[in-house]
Amino acid sequence: MIACVAVVGHQNNPLYLQSFTEADDALKLHHIVHCSLDVIDERVNNPKRSVLTLNETFLGLLFPTESYKVFGYLTNTKVKFIMVTTDLDVKDADVRSFFRRFHAAYVDAVSNPFHVPGKKIASRIFAGRVSGIVKTFALGTNG
Amino acid sequence: MGREVAESCIDGVIIEMVSAYCKRFYATKPELAARRIEAIGYQVGHQLIERYTVERPRFSDHLEAIKFICKDFWSELFKKQIDNLKTNHRGTFVLQDNRFRWLTRVSIDPSLDINEASLESSAVTPENKAAEATSMHLYFPCGIIRGALSNLGIPCAVSADISNLPACSFVVRVKA
Repeated sequence: MIACVAVVGHQNNPLYLQSFTEADDALKLHHIVHCSLDVIDERVNNPKRSVLTLNETFLGLLFPTESYKVFGYLTNTKVKFIMVTTDLDVKDADVRSFFRRFHAAYVDAVSNPFHVPGKKIASRIFAGRVSGIVKTFALGTNG
Repeated sequence: MGREVAESCIDGVIIEMVSAYCKRFYATKPELAARRIEAIGYQVGHQLIERYTVERPRFSDHLEAIKFICKDFWSELFKKQIDNLKTNHRGTFVLQDNRFRWLTRVSIDPSLDINEASLESSAVTPENKAAEATSMHLYFPCGIIRGALSNLGIPCAVSADISNLPACSFVVRVKA
């Protein structure tokens, strides 16, 4: 079950933040997303400490908390995608395919000529596509 | 989603855009027209690079990014690669395209402008007017390159050089 997805720009400005739980811990999720930005910066700037290759877009598990797992993905244009999930045993391949579809939806949203780069993504179509991707992810891991 | 448009439509839109900005919107201020056209190119390049770098590992340095522009980006836009890339290894790159697709229809014959030239001062020769008109068409691709590179994290200034048509060189100066 995905709890929250976020898109953060290259100056760490939030571009899109959507939580999918009805509970009141939306603030806690935002806080987790914020902390994970530091982890991403550290991973990208100190490649010798981590094992992943220098140039991959998928950053993998950023850090596990007691009830969530946080995954990160960094595009070539320094835009970060963060996904917080409550599933404790989620397959790597599923997360990668999630991020691939999310990236495609993001590219389509940003190609909108009325979208101002640096401002929040206000497209309802993008929100709809993201909900669709989140639903298929949930179905994929439960099936 | 894979819808396609005829290439002549793109040519038509670009020619009309340059003509509209130069002759109607900013007829008395060509520098402003040039800046607006370059800004349009900047936004287009910014968005296009987002689309063409999906599924691609990140670039390790400026040279990799410029090579990407020369090969993949240019082939997506113009169905060919940049023919020649030169660099001074100190932040200046020259991208040379021997047959720039958007300039293939530009006439290099200045004799058609003789009537207009005779009305203006003798300093404006037909060759100058032709060169000025052609250079207006180059602000858009310069903007595209600048937008693409800034979205990759490389702020720069791009200018174009058309000393021998239809070859065209774009000079990219990376801002340190």
